[in-house]
Amino acid sequence: MAGGASRWANDKEDEVLEAQRKKEKEEKKRAKLEKQRKLEEAEARRKQAAEPESTQGLQNEVERPVKRRRLSNERDDGDVPDQPRRLMRFVAPEWGPCRHVDNFERLNHIEEGSYGWVSRARETATGEVVALKKLKMDNLNDGFPVTALREIQTLKESRHRHVVDLREVVVGDTLDEFSSVFLVMEFLEHDLKTLQEDMAEPFLPSEIKTLLIQLSSAVEFLHDHWILHRDLKTSNILMNNRGELKLADFGMARYFGDPSPPKMTQLVVTLWYRAPELLLGTTTYGKPVDMWSVGCIFGELLTKAPLLQGKNEVDELAKIFELCGIPTEDSWPGFKRLPNAKSLRLPRTPQTQGSIIRSKFPFLTGAGAALLTSLLSLNPERRPSAAEMLAHPYFKEDPRPKATAMFPTFPSKAGQEKRRRVASPSAPQRGQAPKIDAGEVDFSGIFAGRDLEESGAGFQLKLV
Amino acid sequence: MAPTPNQNSQLVNPLATTAQLSSSGSQLDGVPADLEDSVRFAGASLTQAAGMLLRLPQEIIAQAVVLFTRFWVGPEGGSLIEYGTEIVSASSLYLIAKLSPYPKSPRQILAAYAYLSSLPTSLLTSSLFSSKTPENPDAYYLSEGTYLTQRAALMKTESHILRVLGFNTHVALPYTLCINYLQTLDVFQHPQASALAKRAFAHLNTALLSPQLLYLTHQPPALATAAIYLAAREVGVQLPDNEWWEVFDTDREELGFLVVGLLSMESFVKGEEERWGEGKGRGKVPMTVEAVEAEVERRRILEGGG
Repeated sequence: MAGGASRWANDKEDEVLEAQRKKEKEEKKRAKLEKQRKLEEAEARRKQAAEPESTQGLQNEVERPVKRRRLSNERDDGDVPDQPRRLMRFVAPEWGPCRHVDNFERLNHIEEGSYGWVSRARETATGEVVALKKLKMDNLNDGFPVTALREIQTLKESRHRHVVDLREVVVGDTLDEFSSVFLVMEFLEHDLKTLQEDMAEPFLPSEIKTLLIQLSSAVEFLHDHWILHRDLKTSNILMNNRGELKLADFGMARYFGDPSPPKMTQLVVTLWYRAPELLLGTTTYGKPVDMWSVGCIFGELLTKAPLLQGKNEVDELAKIFELCGIPTEDSWPGFKRLPNAKSLRLPRTPQTQGSIIRSKFPFLTGAGAALLTSLLSLNPERRPSAAEMLAHPYFKEDPRPKATAMFPTFPSKAGQEKRRRVASPSAPQRGQAPKIDAGEVDFSGIFAGRDLEESGAGFQLKLV
Repeated sequence: MAPTPNQNSQLVNPLATTAQLSSSGSQLDGVPADLEDSVRFAGASLTQAAGMLLRLPQEIIAQAVVLFTRFWVGPEGGSLIEYGTEIVSASSLYLIAKLSPYPKSPRQILAAYAYLSSLPTSLLTSSLFSSKTPENPDAYYLSEGTYLTQRAALMKTESHILRVLGFNTHVALPYTLCINYLQTLDVFQHPQASALAKRAFAHLNTALLSPQLLYLTHQPPALATAAIYLAAREVGVQLPDNEWWEVFDTDREELGFLVVGLLSMESFVKGEEERWGEGKGRGKVPMTVEAVEAEVERRRILEGGG
């Protein structure tokens, strides 16, 4: 560092002077030492280079003491330049007041339902198309809804390739009543639910793998940042026309901890994707509730229909036990102590206990079935984490995950695109059969221009 | 080559821009800068005191103080002529508590503020728990009508805070970093270690009230480093005699600035007590729109007369 002129480093200044005096006395001796030290240093550097895993921070720690020694003893040595050290500098984010929603021109409603009122809009200044989500304001006795605040907070924290990007928050005129706060998010053409409804066939196995990898990488990111999504389902998973999937709707999301905070609400996650421990009324839960939902989504992608369509909580639990077997003290220690488990009367017949996932998905490979079974473990402890899921052999075996660029594209319902209908005639109706009047029909034009066509070996090119 | 961090990282706070620091809504409305400093200081201490009364953890209180401070900054920030300090303080605390694991109801918040404003002094830093409870409970009784009006104001102000801050409620704090750094410096073997940690925390708490807006101009790592540096000097713990602060990404200049800022707090608070202390000078710090307007008017007349 620069010469010790600062008033915060008096002792250092003295030290440097002392060192200089000392240096003059023992210059020869020191030069010898220096040589040896350099050799050691080089050795250390070679070792360091051999460790590719060592992180930036570790490297700094290794390097720093070396530099310090240089500073205190050999300041004037010509061949040891006193390099300024590079400190970590962050670009500090800023804050500013919300813009007005009039900066956006609304184009059309996307879907009104589970994820609030979402419409497609264009920013007037840039022409960019975005999704505008109007926040639901339910309980105004407590001021601005905490769920909406959490949604904004968690979405802002989640900058990830597979999480929808929250650009900003804009407000309308009547802010005092909190009735008009909008989230400006990137627009994606599809959501997985609507997309599947319109598809004739389910996704191919290779496509399912790609989707699952993207989904679990997003979930891994969230869990790494101590966020639980708590409402994973196909309608909350958006997709663009480049095969990229993005997680959306953080209306249920919240921060958690380890151990999990007490007294979390069990009323989370849409019923069909709700984990059994939530249905049994636990109030301390964590990452496994999201992983259960991922399992349900996996099953849904395979069959193109939601896996566990219970009519109510009890029916949902019954459907789960039907698919995954009946929990026992061995397979799920302690489940009987959950609040709602006391009223549960389980059959004891052994043949109903096993999981039937393997037989329900006959076309799934062994690894795939193993992954699905582990995701749908009744015991939350046994479900894999998102990171473990990503490392599963299912994603390594053939067919390999399809490249996102190779994904098929679909007409976007949200963008008001329609599938081009191939006009096909409808079936004949009862009544008078239409007659063909042979006198007025002229077929002579059909083969006109045939002689103008180029004829080749295997196919014909029409030149008109 | 500055990395762009995650917007809500625990290491990074949004910082005030130069434009935001050079002007404020209050100054545009004709409030003198020194009065603004006094009111902001009193409001920050009020938030701290209310948080303590409500038994909120210090990290929640600190977040509320930072949010409160951010609200007043910049030409687009709140103006003392438009928003009452007390209600903005209450709303910041309410908002942050709501997001935390320790939510407080509007009634709890408003009762705490009613009690605090019934105290004879508005400088609550030192004398909060030593000063006597007002003898007449009527002074801080919150009637149902007052409660309903104030609750409406609380909600309204909350929405204004959110709008002014662009719904950015993220506050990163230096406390855990401070402990982490002390561990890295390996001082916990030292017999004075806990005194050192306490002193460093005290500095971090004091910095929340700084008129130099240290939490709005410096990142948590720098604040933690400066607090440790100063505390080690005061407690007499020997730290490594090289540029250890650089390990924590703080350069000498920034460290020096922060240390001076922290040291200046004592005289600043003394000055405030001289001016606004109990029985001294001008009485209570103006904490409502009306009081601030009256104070500005009074100064104008004094200047005109003198």
